[in-house]
Amino acid sequence: MEPRLASLVLQGLKEAHVKFVVGLPDSMLAGVYAAAEKDPEIRYVGVTNEAEGASIAAGAWITGGRSVLVMENSGLRAACEALSRLGLVNGIPVTMLMGYRGDLGERFHWGVNHGITMEPILNALRIPYWIIDREDQIIPAVKRAVLHGISSLYHNAVIFRTPLVDEGK
Amino acid sequence: MKRYELLKELAKLVTDQDLVITSIGGVKPEWYSLMPGNGTMFADLLGCATPFSLGVALNLPHRRVIALDTDGGMLFNLGALCTVGKEAPPNLTIIVLDNERYEGVVGSPATHTASGRMDLERIAAAAGISSTGTVKTTENFAALAATMLSDGQTGLMVAKIEPGIFRDVPPDRVKESDGIEDKYRFMRHIEQLEKISIRPRYARE
Repeated sequence: MEPRLASLVLQGLKEAHVKFVVGLPDSMLAGVYAAAEKDPEIRYVGVTNEAEGASIAAGAWITGGRSVLVMENSGLRAACEALSRLGLVNGIPVTMLMGYRGDLGERFHWGVNHGITMEPILNALRIPYWIIDREDQIIPAVKRAVLHGISSLYHNAVIFRTPLVDEGK
Repeated sequence: MKRYELLKELAKLVTDQDLVITSIGGVKPEWYSLMPGNGTMFADLLGCATPFSLGVALNLPHRRVIALDTDGGMLFNLGALCTVGKEAPPNLTIIVLDNERYEGVVGSPATHTASGRMDLERIAAAAGISSTGTVKTTENFAALAATMLSDGQTGLMVAKIEPGIFRDVPPDRVKESDGIEDKYRFMRHIEQLEKISIRPRYARE
């Protein structure tokens, strides 16, 4: 994601009073991690896997520090165990921002499986999601996702599709 | 060292200003029987009690946060120790209750810590956690816990405990709440403690 679009993601997060961006870097949303790390109003926490990331985000959230988890959609698979327990046992929300690797037209053979598994997993966990591909959707989608976490006390996701994200080299 | 005896010592050190996060397993009913107040989040996480506690500690840096994790939980997600070491919150103390068993499983099969060839304390130190220790007696636990809760460093203590769950909890100290009730109690407690609104009645943009 180019810096100009990443700045819109950050703007949406700040307008939603998000304090913590927890992330495991990927190519599609590379600009978002970089922007979050540099932003003095955001605490960026890099993690070693996405289950850990979901748990850190949830710990911050339940004590009043609004948070999001940023990752490639493959991270959803790694995060499933923690997301299931946090969401279905405790009802502590994690808002996720993901790049849509494996979308129709994927250039890399290794990325196709990420697209195949993403929506079935989200549906299995009953996680509502929005797939966006226009610049004017970024700020409202991010803000409304954070808001929805507060009202639903359950996870949700915003998925960024090309041309908003970089497919990588 | 029995876990319940250890937790009794910890309860003497924990105040109503502190926050405690539990792992799954026998620690939940035992800790509840000793500290039934709302300052504990009885999380139901497998391998993620420590990262959850890290999120709490980073968000509330003025509060002491204590993670009651287990050997099985820690081994499930060792990478989390590296994130703790990197972020280095001075207000976080992790206590690994190491019974060398998957106690909730029929037959209580051994975890890797039972091999004697691996050392969670050394792993934690190598991950960058500044204050680490291993204890095998209640007296040593009480002393090290008191130090770790007051030294202003990220701490991880491995407490070697005997297998077994304390069964003689008084009837009025039996934990009967589920995860949703636990969440609300903890969240409302934080709202009162911090004088903030985490989940307003109507969420607005």
